[in-house]
Amino acid sequence: MTEALLEQVINGLMMGSVYVLVALGLVLIYGVMHVVNFAHGVLFTLGGYLGHFFFTQWWDNYWVATLLSMLSVGLVGYALERGVFRPLNGNLRNQVIASLGLILALENAVIALWGPNALQWKVASTEQLVSLGELRFSVHHLGIIVLTMAMITALGLFLKHTRFGTAIRATSQNQEAALVVGIPVQRVQWSTFALGSALAALGGCLVGPLFLVFPQMGDVPLVKGLAGILLGGMGSVPGAVVGGLILGVTESVSTLFLPTDYKDAIAFMVMVGILLFRPQGLWGQRVRGEE
Amino acid sequence: MPWMALLMLLGVLALAPWWAAQQPFVLHMLVTACVLVVPAVGLNLMLGHGGLVSLGHMGFAGIGAYVAAVLMVDARWSFGGAVWAAMLAAGAAGGLISLLCFRFRGHFFMIVTLAFGLMLHAVMNNWDSVTRGAAGFAGIPRPTPVRWGDEVWSFGPLPHFYALALAMAVIAFALQYLVVNSNFGRSLAAIRQDERLARSRGVNTLLYKTAVFAIGTALAGMGGVLQVSFLRVAAPASFTMLESINMVLIVIIGGAGSLVGPALGALLYVALPELLRLSNEWRLVIFGVLLVLITLFAPKGLAGLCARAWRRVWPPQSQTPAGAKP
Amino acid sequence: MKHAMKSLPSLLAAALLALGALAPVAHAQNKVQIGIVTALTGPMAAPGVFQMNGFKLAAEELNAGGGFAVAGRKYSIELKVYDTRANPSEGATAMQRLATVDKVPVVLGELSSGVAAAIAPIAQDYALPFILTVPTGPNLTEQNNPYLFRVNANNHQLNVALADFLTKQGWSPISFIAWNNDAGRGGVSGIKELLPAAKDGYVGYFNLGEVDFSSHIANVRNSKSQAVMLFMDEEPGSLAIKQIRDAGLKLNLVGTLAMGSDRFLKRLDAQKLDGMLQYNAFPPNADVPRIKKFSQTYKAKFGEEAHGFSAQSYDGLMVAVAAMQAAGTVSDGKAIRDALAKLNHAGVIGNIKFDAKGQASPQVYVTQWCANGSRRILYPDNAKAGCGAG
Repeated sequence: MTEALLEQVINGLMMGSVYVLVALGLVLIYGVMHVVNFAHGVLFTLGGYLGHFFFTQWWDNYWVATLLSMLSVGLVGYALERGVFRPLNGNLRNQVIASLGLILALENAVIALWGPNALQWKVASTEQLVSLGELRFSVHHLGIIVLTMAMITALGLFLKHTRFGTAIRATSQNQEAALVVGIPVQRVQWSTFALGSALAALGGCLVGPLFLVFPQMGDVPLVKGLAGILLGGMGSVPGAVVGGLILGVTESVSTLFLPTDYKDAIAFMVMVGILLFRPQGLWGQRVRGEE
Repeated sequence: MPWMALLMLLGVLALAPWWAAQQPFVLHMLVTACVLVVPAVGLNLMLGHGGLVSLGHMGFAGIGAYVAAVLMVDARWSFGGAVWAAMLAAGAAGGLISLLCFRFRGHFFMIVTLAFGLMLHAVMNNWDSVTRGAAGFAGIPRPTPVRWGDEVWSFGPLPHFYALALAMAVIAFALQYLVVNSNFGRSLAAIRQDERLARSRGVNTLLYKTAVFAIGTALAGMGGVLQVSFLRVAAPASFTMLESINMVLIVIIGGAGSLVGPALGALLYVALPELLRLSNEWRLVIFGVLLVLITLFAPKGLAGLCARAWRRVWPPQSQTPAGAKP
Repeated sequence: MKHAMKSLPSLLAAALLALGALAPVAHAQNKVQIGIVTALTGPMAAPGVFQMNGFKLAAEELNAGGGFAVAGRKYSIELKVYDTRANPSEGATAMQRLATVDKVPVVLGELSSGVAAAIAPIAQDYALPFILTVPTGPNLTEQNNPYLFRVNANNHQLNVALADFLTKQGWSPISFIAWNNDAGRGGVSGIKELLPAAKDGYVGYFNLGEVDFSSHIANVRNSKSQAVMLFMDEEPGSLAIKQIRDAGLKLNLVGTLAMGSDRFLKRLDAQKLDGMLQYNAFPPNADVPRIKKFSQTYKAKFGEEAHGFSAQSYDGLMVAVAAMQAAGTVSDGKAIRDALAKLNHAGVIGNIKFDAKGQASPQVYVTQWCANGSRRILYPDNAKAGCGAG
């Protein structure tokens, strides 16, 4: 039984890492602009497709393709921020509605351009296997966990020790005060949006080779990413990390003794339950007048 | 005067079985539009008038649909009884769930409604013994035939069912009108505009929000019953997250908060694929882009655009010298 | 008052929209339009391609050489295809259109049982025969609908054959990983009733779009099962099998219809598939003349191996035409329906004869992948064949 538990925990950490990547993008954008971009999942999907495209059409180096995909999606994010979210600044409802419209438009554009079938992205690391006792995982599997940890550390250092990172944190805390101190808030906003989008694209590129690239691939990570940041506390980066990982591990372990067809429902019930007792999330702060 | 226009439109729609007699497909589309418009009116009350963005609305339509399915097929209830039960069930579920949702604000609230919509769908899909699961609950009957003296009016033929669907749509709109123009509606508008201010004036905001949520979900339930009686099957595929998003689309494009908005949105949603013979994906891309454009440039939706165009053709009395009065 | 005044233009717009969708229809001469409903987009789009290929192949064959003859006149076939997106409401709309606007004599297809259930009553309303070629939900043919026919085997028939075979193998316990939709759930519940060895196994469901099977695999390993049955289509199937093999799980794999095709093989390599069994409506390389001929024609046109869904759909269209010929009409739905009920047709998947409920009883095979990427037939005993003939 302990072996099964260990296996599920490792599985959970892997899926959780993917949720964390999505959650990080969401939380950064939320912190700086107070908007939840529901179309984040489609950016994840777009990242996967573009990564596949660059890999198969230009240069079959996995890292180059991923980087190119991240850059492209970052650009898309910039365009969305300037074209859609900035004009709707302050109107929460319309921003959410607009992002729903983006989901429809982008997801179906992907289907129209690439077709409804899943694409295969053959990368070497998915074929090589690693053994831990009787358990076996692919190198890519474990690589996702390692890479995400590295990403989180890099992000943390960036936010704490660089000028721009500090600017991001300042804008998250208080937009007006940041303006007063001379921080170029608008620049912070669009670059954070681009950065968050690039993180989503990274998620798509990591998951694509392991699980196929298909049009709905971002839907589940989006919902789980949202649940992760709710759990961890909106606006909190460490919260997003913890929330995503907890969600991933709980999901996997729950399949050991609960019916799997209700796996998602159970994950949400746990999340809602925790939020009822601690509405600001595990790491979030109760800010007065904050929505 | 405007009431004349309203009655005329209703008259045109009511006579549809005659002017569309050679094209039963038009009737089918109108029924589909009615089936969509009933939950849309509910969501319009919640979203447009109450300011509550629910992303799980069709989950409640599903509650109504399956409650009615079980009652009509397993317990042999009549359609009328099933509709009442469905509305009660969906409304009660909505009220209870909304109490949980209202613990959260803004984005949190929307995400939690999304989560509940997903949970409801999971139950519909997995609870095989009651809902017949993913394969769908087939064999749902049309309403039992009604007797008029010697005549029997059955709901099998499309024009007859259309009459029922139109009647239910009218009831939904009448309900919306009553709610919006009542004291309840006015308090709701106040809450939507500034909740804290309303609360400081002594309005029990939680009560009002829960009530409008429950009314909205009850209407969703009514729509659900109409839908499954029309299709004669209840399937979880009709009540997914995507369908809930479509419902938001219909309300927003039509014009959230306007009385006629849901009708415009539903008609456009049903008619567009027929007017623009495009592949399905491109149709949805257009809807998505339309939604973004509307939020950016025409937040009052189609209803707002029509009203603006109308004012240009027929400016209000105070402005125009040459009296083109309606 | 002002409120309603603002609504006036909107009401007029509403009326205009309603009227605007009237669409005139024209029919060409000596052409018969046959209605097709399938999923061209959405999550079921991949199996939809196989279904369409079967219809296209049959239509082409019929049209070659001037068409087919009914009551002395020659007709060619035109397919009128509607995309239902696996959504019941779209299915009903499409069927309504086919019945009243396009006025076709016969409708074929659909992939999803839930959608088929919404289409079938409309078939009855308009006396328009509806021939299923893929959906497996058993309750579809239990609704006393005289206008509904099914060419393919339903879940119950498939499970009976498979359970028969598995019981003979004596594997126990048996676990399941299934799609959380009508095909997956229906398959699992059906076979559990017939297979006592399934009692102690693990049952795992996953939703469309989920691709990580690691938790399911861990639980299957934990249950010490000797076999795991995969109720899903080829895309998630290829992922599941890869993950199962990578995880080092050494047990017997049993799959569904979708996992017996060449396209499936291309997604994985033969090593991973070696030994996997599946129930199969159509082993394309079997040494049976009707199968061989179809496989050759299919390969020539589409460049890949034939798939069961295509064979079933091909037969469906041929059956529809045979019924029109027997009834002597290309427009009378009721006459065509009566002809279908009496029909005895030699199809690619075997002899097609509909029972009182409209269900045909095609042969169900069990095939197995060999190490070199070919298949062998294991069941029924009288059809057994070695590697390469499956």
